[in-house]
Amino acid sequence: MSLNPKHYITGAAQRTFLLPAGFALLITLLFAGCRVQLLPDYDARISSQIVELARKVDQFYLLMLEIPEHERSYDHYIEKYVDIESGLNSLLMQNRIKPLNENITRITEITLELWTKHKQEHKQDNTLNDALITLNRMDFNDLFYAMQVAEQAKQMISKPAE
Amino acid sequence: MKFNLDQTLKDMLAAMQGELGKDWHKVRAVMEQFLERRKLRLKTLIDGHAIGQINRTKFEDRLNTVEKMHLEAQINALRVVSKAIAQKAANAAIEVLEKAVRVSLGRIV
Repeated sequence: MSLNPKHYITGAAQRTFLLPAGFALLITLLFAGCRVQLLPDYDARISSQIVELARKVDQFYLLMLEIPEHERSYDHYIEKYVDIESGLNSLLMQNRIKPLNENITRITEITLELWTKHKQEHKQDNTLNDALITLNRMDFNDLFYAMQVAEQAKQMISKPAE
Repeated sequence: MKFNLDQTLKDMLAAMQGELGKDWHKVRAVMEQFLERRKLRLKTLIDGHAIGQINRTKFEDRLNTVEKMHLEAQINALRVVSKAIAQKAANAAIEVLEKAVRVSLGRIV
């Protein structure tokens, strides 16, 4: 230890104020970035896009049910099929670019795969009967529901538990 | 500097348990909804097959392919809900630790 009073005061001041303050600052800085993140933040835009797509698909099948079976040829529905498929592609792209979003991306991929599968079935048979339309409608209602459940779960993170 | 590690760990655990307990019923509610919807789909499929609107090939394809797709989508949705709950609980515990360290540092700074 130095006997020079000037040095002694400086050392005491360092021990009493500067070191703890520095330590406190270090701890604060460490905690500031220390948050667990397993999911991307909730995106209200994506959530409303899911609702809108679900509505479009539901309307598509409900309108089809109103038309007699022999008039349900694939050609009449090409434009709607393409419109909804492009909407699903856009949703998939938005989900894919977000980090930590692999689960919702997979649900969107499955929805798109099933949309293409049902479209091919319609194209091949050139008609859809009431039972198949009802089932297709349920398929997409349920997949969009799964997508919404996942999207809303992200919103739950920022809300206090009920 | 006085820092009670045992108490802090207990408080962290309590914070995590609190968050997990409060949100866990949500997972159960979602699972019940998924099961209910599956039941309805299968009933519609069986009815359609029974009245001859869904042939055997389509019936089997729905059971073997489409239902598997639904199951995978539902598992992914449940994973997101579980991750959200885990994230919330982990951050509640970190907040407790952060507060304890701040209080402890406050006494000496």
